Amino acid sequence: METTLLEIKNLNISFNISKNIVNTVDNFSLTLKEKETIGIVGESGSGKTISMLGLTRLLPKQAFVDKGSILFKGRDISNISNKEFYQTISGKKISMIFQEPMTALNPVYTIGRQLMATYLFHNDVSRNSAYNRAIDFLDKVQLTNVKERMAQYPHQLSGGQRQRVMIAMALINSPELLIADEPTTALDVTVQKEIVGLIQKLIENLGMAMIFISHDLGLVSKTCENIIVMEKGLILESGKAENVLTRPKENYTKNLLKCLWSLDVDHKKIHKDRTLLLDVKNISKSYQLTGSILKPKKIINAVRNVSFEIFKGETLAIVGESGSGKSTVAKIINGLTKMDSGDVLLEGKKIDSYSPLERALRIQPVFQDPYSTLNPNHTIGFIVRRPLLLNTSLSSYEIETKVEKTLNLVGLSENFINRFPSQLSGGQRQRVAIARAIILEPKILICDEPTSSLDVTIQSQILDLLNELKERLKITIVLISHNISVVKFLSDRVLVMNNGEILESGNTLSIINKPNNNYTKKLMSAIFTVKKKV
Amino acid sequence: MLKFVAGRFLVSLAVAFTISFVTFFFLNIFTDPAQAVAGEEALFEEIEQIRTQYGFDRPILTRYFEWLGGIFTGDFGVSYYWNKPVGTLLLERAPQTIKLALMSVSVTIMVAIPLGIFAALNPNSIIDRFALSVAVSAQAIPNFWLGLILIIIFSVTFPIFPVSGDKTYYHFILPSVVLGTSSVPPVMRLMRTGLLDVINSDYIRTARSIGFSGWRLVTKHALRNAVLPIISVIAVQLGHKFGGSLITESVFAINGLGRLALLSILGADIPTVQILIFVFAITFIVFNLLSDILNAYLDPRLRL
Repeated sequence: METTLLEIKNLNISFNISKNIVNTVDNFSLTLKEKETIGIVGESGSGKTISMLGLTRLLPKQAFVDKGSILFKGRDISNISNKEFYQTISGKKISMIFQEPMTALNPVYTIGRQLMATYLFHNDVSRNSAYNRAIDFLDKVQLTNVKERMAQYPHQLSGGQRQRVMIAMALINSPELLIADEPTTALDVTVQKEIVGLIQKLIENLGMAMIFISHDLGLVSKTCENIIVMEKGLILESGKAENVLTRPKENYTKNLLKCLWSLDVDHKKIHKDRTLLLDVKNISKSYQLTGSILKPKKIINAVRNVSFEIFKGETLAIVGESGSGKSTVAKIINGLTKMDSGDVLLEGKKIDSYSPLERALRIQPVFQDPYSTLNPNHTIGFIVRRPLLLNTSLSSYEIETKVEKTLNLVGLSENFINRFPSQLSGGQRQRVAIARAIILEPKILICDEPTSSLDVTIQSQILDLLNELKERLKITIVLISHNISVVKFLSDRVLVMNNGEILESGNTLSIINKPNNNYTKKLMSAIFTVKKKV
Repeated sequence: MLKFVAGRFLVSLAVAFTISFVTFFFLNIFTDPAQAVAGEEALFEEIEQIRTQYGFDRPILTRYFEWLGGIFTGDFGVSYYWNKPVGTLLLERAPQTIKLALMSVSVTIMVAIPLGIFAALNPNSIIDRFALSVAVSAQAIPNFWLGLILIIIFSVTFPIFPVSGDKTYYHFILPSVVLGTSSVPPVMRLMRTGLLDVINSDYIRTARSIGFSGWRLVTKHALRNAVLPIISVIAVQLGHKFGGSLITESVFAINGLGRLALLSILGADIPTVQILIFVFAITFIVFNLLSDILNAYLDPRLRL
């Protein structure tokens, strides 16, 4: 019989926001057996992280545990003193891995020192044996040159390497429970898969239980036996991963699943129109990092000799990881950055021969972060109206009708005209950004990661909208993304970029199903999808 | 690290040369050194005679290199006003200023850093409010007023400390308190905000998840990060103090560099003034260099 490791009963967590008590986690309960893995899924603000921070006593200052009991190995740990908790539980029995590997390690100490301090805190051993233990665990997380790594500082490692160090740090005291809070969200796709695989392998080898927090249902269903779905501080449903995926009880879960499935489409018409709209010829762009007296200037070739065409009405996706040069290409087409060499021809004319206003009539961008791209001091009406005022000579009546029509087109009512961005949700803001971009009826819409900072359910709404606009306005879309599912859903053709070069290009389905290039294969194999089961 | 130090050293050297050039040229072009020596009521012939006698009629570049060469060989020139070699003047006056500077910066550190740490650890508490009010008052009180008040209380009413003078270390206690107090606000505030930022950072959450708490968390994981910006500020404060404090030195009758500078400027004593400006600049450069090196030693990200 497996024994119960952790039992949380009716945990309530509240925030004290300027003397108002706001309940954020409501009656959270969970039972975890030894060596069991549970995934907590939910969108931002669902309380998945807060409930775990409540368990590990890492809540932010304004938050506190209202009530509830936490039994760890049969012992109630919700009432023991902080001192006892820190000395006997945190880091020793329960460890955490956090989302952001770039900031989770102390920048001023070496990797070795931080690992050793973690071990020495809970174990009364010599520095020498702590050193050997640290080396051993760096080996376990599959880092190379471990002896040299010990003397390195966090900023000298890549994101993936830092997350490996973080994992080593969480496991060095052989805890019985590991809580992984979105451990791969901040990493590149190809690295994500390696890290998840590594965590799974180590959990199994070391015989630990794990609670895996994620917004990605696909990822969680691959890593955990059981799933808890949370929304707005409440547990909506829980059970075996299989059951939740195949027989979801709650509408919210069904909705989440539908979002995943809707991205998993296989129907694709081949785009036939071959009218050349944008011709990109051998463009290159390099950035120079400023040096000092003793340090030579460093040159980064962001884009090297890239050529491609965009045909009228098609959707072209440029795919790649961070640093691949995809965003630089987008900036060049948008006229936001000058290229070093090469030509971009828009309808046969060099793009730099257009004035900014002329170019704006033809090409419009939609950016990633709807929270920072809208000026908080302007109303939605002003933001959407502005391009018309600058570029056309319509009467104010015509302008107002057009603004209302465009807002309706992106699924917002005219009531939004007098609101400010801060009064809107992320999804609504992105709709405003799209409305602002399409109001001039441009020929090309450049969408740079249009959904990356949105929640899953919102993501699919925005993608549906873009798809609809594409059909109705016959607009050409250049989609910049690292998310293969999004690309698959929206685009006709794909360019795969790495290190500033185009590795491969072609029809979306053929690239996804039959990639030729090794890098593309790696990129494609890294996505976790949930296949619809009929 | 060695490369970093060498690089910074070269930059500092370049800055020092630029400053020597600029001070010499400004002082010798915008004022007439011969007129300064001769005095206000001198006749034209007398001025011209002095000009040839002292060699002021030679090209300015020649005189600059002569002056610079003098500095390298320890010959700082002769003061017309004090009738002494400038080097001797410096040696007489510098010890008082150095004592005062070091003691006052110690006062600053001893008050500002603990207060800042306590305020950061208990934000919005009574300690925090107290620290804030100390900072505001210290900033608002003028040095000369605080100096006089301290003399009245601690030298006149309760004769614990001497009223003025610079004979023993005892004489320096009140002036150090006055001068040190004025630097408390910036250092304390920086310590508070710096430590607060660090305490709310992700890596401190990581350390807490391991089990670190209380003082061990602060001293082993947070302090080194929080102290980085403080070092630069203290270096600047030290630079200021080494330049001598005119007001505090005057109030307490300390014969330091500040008073020397004041009297030399009033006496239009170009040789002394230009050496003083140069020496003040050099101390600034040296402290900045030291703080850069110390920062780089503590923060590996700066060693690029």
